[in-house]
Amino acid sequence: MNGTIKRAGCIAIVAIAGLTGCAGVEPWDRDVLARPDMQLVSDPTEASADEHIYFSKEASSGGRGFGGGGCGCN
Amino acid sequence: MQLKRRRRARDIGAPLAAATCALLGQSVPADVSAQELLPWDLDTSLLIYSESDGRVQDTSLSLRARKEMREEKFLGLTLAVDSLTGASPSGAVPAGVVQTFTSPSGNSQYSVAAGAQALDTSFLDTRVALTANWEMPLSRLALLSVGASLSDEYDYTHTGINANVARDFNDRNTTLSFGLALANDTIEPVGGSPVALAPMLGVGDATNKRGGQSKDVTDLLLGVTQVLNRHTIVQLNYSLSQADGYLTDPYKVLSVVDPVTGDPVLGPSGSGLYRYLYESRPETRDKQSVFALLKRDVRGDVLETSYRYMTDDWGVDSHTLELRYRWNFGAERYLQPHVRFYQQTAAEFYRTVLFDGAALPLHATADHRLGEFDGVTVGLKFGQATARGGEWWARIEYYTQTGTASPGSAVGALANYDLYPDLNALIAQFSYQFGRR
Repeated sequence: MNGTIKRAGCIAIVAIAGLTGCAGVEPWDRDVLARPDMQLVSDPTEASADEHIYFSKEASSGGRGFGGGGCGCN
Repeated sequence: MQLKRRRRARDIGAPLAAATCALLGQSVPADVSAQELLPWDLDTSLLIYSESDGRVQDTSLSLRARKEMREEKFLGLTLAVDSLTGASPSGAVPAGVVQTFTSPSGNSQYSVAAGAQALDTSFLDTRVALTANWEMPLSRLALLSVGASLSDEYDYTHTGINANVARDFNDRNTTLSFGLALANDTIEPVGGSPVALAPMLGVGDATNKRGGQSKDVTDLLLGVTQVLNRHTIVQLNYSLSQADGYLTDPYKVLSVVDPVTGDPVLGPSGSGLYRYLYESRPETRDKQSVFALLKRDVRGDVLETSYRYMTDDWGVDSHTLELRYRWNFGAERYLQPHVRFYQQTAAEFYRTVLFDGAALPLHATADHRLGEFDGVTVGLKFGQATARGGEWWARIEYYTQTGTASPGSAVGALANYDLYPDLNALIAQFSYQFGRR
């Protein structure tokens, strides 16, 4: 594991520790977060198209979800 | 967190009636319980991806369907059909002479003009991809999702299965998820799979080719989602991907050039070709990535920003930063600009050219996608609600890649050529989501 990964790992751990300490939102205050445009993946059609394009053209894939693939893309 | 699709006010009537009946100890009328299940959600899309200079053109049609089959249990299906045409870089570098290549099938040849980028124009494919997904609660706070994927093109077949479990904590303000995906892909290259670093041969000579190949890919995903406040949610994922098997691109070659003049050197005697070697990649690849996403409601608009860091054992490190801002003009329409910045380092075995007389490396590729480059995307999307309760949207994006050749490759005549030509692509997509009224 190189230094960059360690740094990323440290940031992730600090971030998780910080986030889980949040006060949170009561169920009756979820109106904004329940909006379709506030979902983590608000448009799966657009997201899967982008994933397919960038998987085909770059050496990286996934992250948001699984690594994608399933094609011998040129 | 199981943030469900928001039901319209009038859809709340059925569950409310059911709850009222339950409280009063009465049975639920049949029509009320039937109304609770929403009809199929149908999203259709047409995507056009077009690279400049006659390179890859892709037209893709997709259909996405989702339905609540039983209470809280959803079936999702997708179908996508891609039609690919155009030309793909072969990996060979330009030369001061006309270059002739044997096409992957081994049955024909094509030529590239002096000074021109070597593009394989025999590239043509149709791809059909199917996925199915079943989503159901495991308990009040846990959600299971299982799926399968299948895709088929002329020379490539993919099969995969996946599962994901998500569990809410902290009054549903925190969600932890764990996912696993397994895939098995088989590759039957046109004309056979070339022997690693074997020279390209003349028409009809297949002694440098072997049969079909396969690879297995395992993906692990760990995620945490956290509600920060009434307007903000964040997600952090760690993923690990291990690929094992044939990871080489059977259609890519490397030019072998004179180390002083940069000119191509003669290939196997009798072939009439210059010397081009089929690429060779390691048979395993481990990738890791960290992905962070923040979504924030900004007075009714939505800001979405994400960052991904990826590293693999081929020496590729990448950074991806994305930003979207959705301007909601009332509930009916929106405009969404998008920018994406991508940067990657080259794989350790990326070589723009190989030099005549030098010992062959174990692995080598001239595939630009494994080189060092920056990618920038800018785009704009417009969405409009339909009178029937659905939505249509259209987006247009422009994607550019600017890369650099591997160090020390611009020797002699090669210094006159662009050894890593820019890639420019236009992405246009239109989607129609059918109404649910």
